[in-house]
Amino acid sequence: MNKLLLCAMCVVAVFAAVVPCLADTVNGVLAEERVVTLPNDQGKWYISVVGDADNARYNEILGWFDNNPNLAKLKDQVQFCPVTSDTAIYKERYAPNVAGLPTVRMQQPDAAVVYEAAGKDIPMTAEGLNAALAGAVGKAQGLRPILPWRRDADNRLNNLERPKPQPQPNTDPKPQPIDDGGKPEVVPPDVPEPEVTLPGWLMVPVCGAGFAIGFCLGYSKKLHEKLLPAAK
Amino acid sequence: MKRIALAALLLAMVAGCELPGDVAPLAPKKRSVAERPAVNLPLALRQSNWWGQGGQGSCTWATMVSLLRWQGRYRTADWVRQNCGDGEWPDDMAQRLDEAGVRYAYVTNGDVKFLEWACRTRRGCGITIRGGQHMVALVHLDEKWAALLDDNAVEEYIWVLRETLIAEWKASDGWAITPIYAPAAPLPQ
Repeated sequence: MNKLLLCAMCVVAVFAAVVPCLADTVNGVLAEERVVTLPNDQGKWYISVVGDADNARYNEILGWFDNNPNLAKLKDQVQFCPVTSDTAIYKERYAPNVAGLPTVRMQQPDAAVVYEAAGKDIPMTAEGLNAALAGAVGKAQGLRPILPWRRDADNRLNNLERPKPQPQPNTDPKPQPIDDGGKPEVVPPDVPEPEVTLPGWLMVPVCGAGFAIGFCLGYSKKLHEKLLPAAK
Repeated sequence: MKRIALAALLLAMVAGCELPGDVAPLAPKKRSVAERPAVNLPLALRQSNWWGQGGQGSCTWATMVSLLRWQGRYRTADWVRQNCGDGEWPDDMAQRLDEAGVRYAYVTNGDVKFLEWACRTRRGCGITIRGGQHMVALVHLDEKWAALLDDNAVEEYIWVLRETLIAEWKASDGWAITPIYAPAAPLPQ
């Protein structure tokens, strides 16, 4: 019995000694503490929306980044910085270099400005702003936006399966990995494909030409039969 | 022969119209000069140390207030300024921040990777110095230099050699802490 107790105590002692040794660091944070995964988001771009806190236009633009799905998605991918003109950050870091209020500015991680619009130059709608930002991202990357018809063609070429509608899951979504940044993917606006249609006035001569050709063919057949009767 | 010529003409008309001249040439990239220090707090946002109700300095909280302001959390910073004070231990500070719903991270093991991460992501962090008796904000860390913002003298940054700073920090309990929100945008290049 004593040996059994001794063995049990030894096992407990060994376990107590080993567990703290296994505690390791994860991104510099002690693993046995409440661990926060540190976001390596130094590659994220920045979007600053600058304006007077009481200005309706400023608040409208801020609202776009919550209410417009594309801009809301973009907001999650960047370091989003709403800045009001009554703050020290504005006075020291924006007032000397903005053209007016409100201002929307997009910057790369190295601080290069890829898009900036102020006052009336800001697009009138959320969709317009999204399109402008998408264009700026593409231009900064030396890319042209992919038009919808081209996207479809690429999908067909790559034999990609079309997404099929699925019922909405009832379970909570799994936690997503922290977005560590990089170039934001701005959803490009849908550009309507130009429709190829003939102008209405062109239909008249086309129909006339068709009628004339038909008439000539019929007449020439009759003439042929008259001049060269079929052998009987 | 005429048919061939016609076919060639038609092909030429139908073929891609995009000339090389249409492609916008990539502008040569300007060499950007990174802002120094990385966490360049406006003077008005730098929180000076204050006496807590227990008669102690509040360097840990003052550092946290400055960093929260840099990361655009003005209301949280105001709350900390009004409701927190005196000297603090890592666990107690973590508990207060949890209660306030602040998103933060900290180490107490002197892991330099934490400092590098904090400055690389332009968030900065509070670090202990003077044997753990004082906390200042680390606002820059590169291969050679470190910059500190001391809440007892917020007017100027203090530049020290990286290795000197790291040695001082490790000899001072190696505690570092920072909130995790979006840092202020860099100055435009």
